[in-house]
Amino acid sequence: MLGLRRWRRPWLGVLAAIALMLPLVVSKPFAIDIFIRVLLFAFIGVAWNLMGGYAKQLSLGHAAYFGLGAYTSTILQIRFGISPWIGMFAGGMVAMAASLPIGAVCFRLRGPYFAISTIATAQVLMLLFLKFRDFAWGAEGTTLPNLGNAPLMMQFDAKAAYYYIALALLAIGLAITYRIERSRMGYYLMALGEDEDAAEAIGVNVLRIKRQVYLISAFLTALAGTFYVQYIYFIDPNTAFSFNVSVEAALVSIVGGIGTLWGPVVGTVLLEATSALLQSWLGSSHGGVQLTVYSLILIAVILWRPSGLLGVLTEAYGRIAYAGPSREREGPLDG
Amino acid sequence: MAEALVVRNLSKRFGGLRAVQDLSFSVNENETVALIGPNGAGKTTSFNLITGYHRPDAGSVLAFGRELVGLRPYDICAHGLARTFQVARPFGKMTVLANVMTGAFLRDKKPEVARARAREAIDFVGLSAKEHVPARDLTTIDQRRLEMARALATEPRVLLLDEVMAGLNPAEIDQAVALVGKLSQRGLTIVIVEHVMRAIMAVARHIVVLDHGQKIAEGNPKEVVANADVIRAYLGTGYVHVATPGEGRC
Repeated sequence: MLGLRRWRRPWLGVLAAIALMLPLVVSKPFAIDIFIRVLLFAFIGVAWNLMGGYAKQLSLGHAAYFGLGAYTSTILQIRFGISPWIGMFAGGMVAMAASLPIGAVCFRLRGPYFAISTIATAQVLMLLFLKFRDFAWGAEGTTLPNLGNAPLMMQFDAKAAYYYIALALLAIGLAITYRIERSRMGYYLMALGEDEDAAEAIGVNVLRIKRQVYLISAFLTALAGTFYVQYIYFIDPNTAFSFNVSVEAALVSIVGGIGTLWGPVVGTVLLEATSALLQSWLGSSHGGVQLTVYSLILIAVILWRPSGLLGVLTEAYGRIAYAGPSREREGPLDG
Repeated sequence: MAEALVVRNLSKRFGGLRAVQDLSFSVNENETVALIGPNGAGKTTSFNLITGYHRPDAGSVLAFGRELVGLRPYDICAHGLARTFQVARPFGKMTVLANVMTGAFLRDKKPEVARARAREAIDFVGLSAKEHVPARDLTTIDQRRLEMARALATEPRVLLLDEVMAGLNPAEIDQAVALVGKLSQRGLTIVIVEHVMRAIMAVARHIVVLDHGQKIAEGNPKEVVANADVIRAYLGTGYVHVATPGEGRC
């Protein structure tokens, strides 16, 4: 049913076709590298958006799950020779297990206090991996053994292969979001994001729903962690639990449109592409200019369009298309 | 008639303030009971105690013979008690339909079923024309209607309405009164907190009067407005002689 409905929307087919053809047309490693980063961060944004966007639980600690995913698969691969394909899911499981106690503590707090407590969880994990050297290589980290072209160990000669993995991850993330958005859980997430007390009054077990969406979000973020390590062949606590990952996950969603299906994708395309292009054009001659422009975009969006770029478009579309009273619409935003 | 809701010796203190003291009353099935009293009398606190938002220091709340004290609000809603809030709390970004569907999901997981039930509740409160309007764009009375529809969609047996008529103009109050009457005809048990006396007289057969957290009077509307304690609580001691039984007005 999902597949059928999907092809009824021609633009989605076009988009998918472009995404699939892109590595065949553009073959510069530099360009593909940017595409991979865009897909990866869009995927992390999608994972974050389930919780931070729909349920408005502003987590700034998703690096915790990114890092756990990265470390789990790497430890399994180097110590036990287990394929990262399996390690990826093991990482997801570890992240889910970790999200339960983290959630139990952090969900007691609301608003900015919740955000701050999540930052702390990622930092604590980073310190643990920094200090315990025999556990996971400590501060100097480790490189992954280069096995050449070994698809079973998630290593490829062709960069395009990584591109397709990232694309698949993003497609999975979007499909999951699409399903959740239209289910009871989607409505519950949005409702508790708007008003927790009012949601409880109509029978929403707020804490349980938060816990469930945190599990899903943590699992997906961990998959991204594994992929990233496999892609850059290196892991250390500062990369794996980088605060930048947490911030980026939130920023791409906020800029693109918080709590919308395509928001994180739109936001990543804009931010990552701008940042990468500016860096390559100006990075060497005018250091710091790209960061300035990047920041200006952020300030502009947050100042004038806090609902994000997609929010502006959907509102305009809603005004034009649904002026009549009884048109059928779907999803919690539109009933 | 069977008792739908029995409140027994309910007490709650906030620091030094005794918000509700030893409150007892009961509501029969399909009856409409009003809870009235001056500002700060403990009406909303009583609602919060009954619906699980505050935990009482003492006392019990039985709904259809089942103890509710200690349950969380969503459990209490699942047991058939739905409430509205004094200040309407719609899910602003979501449409009217999505708001009400969220309530309907309590009884059925399937979106199609929830959508159908939500439409029914929206139709009942007369909001069908605004189904696709985001809740934050509604007028005050429509937001109140939405709150009622959302509560109705959870298929309650007891409906607790917290000042649904505050801030409405006289014409709107008439509409709201008619709506509460319609809810009662549908077989719902209703507990209503209200300041608009005209509305209370029209909808409630039984009134419980609170002052400083205590029940000071109880009875049918005529008895209550003639009650000396009630007049003293509302108007002060100087006015007690004005009222004589039988010609009580408010």
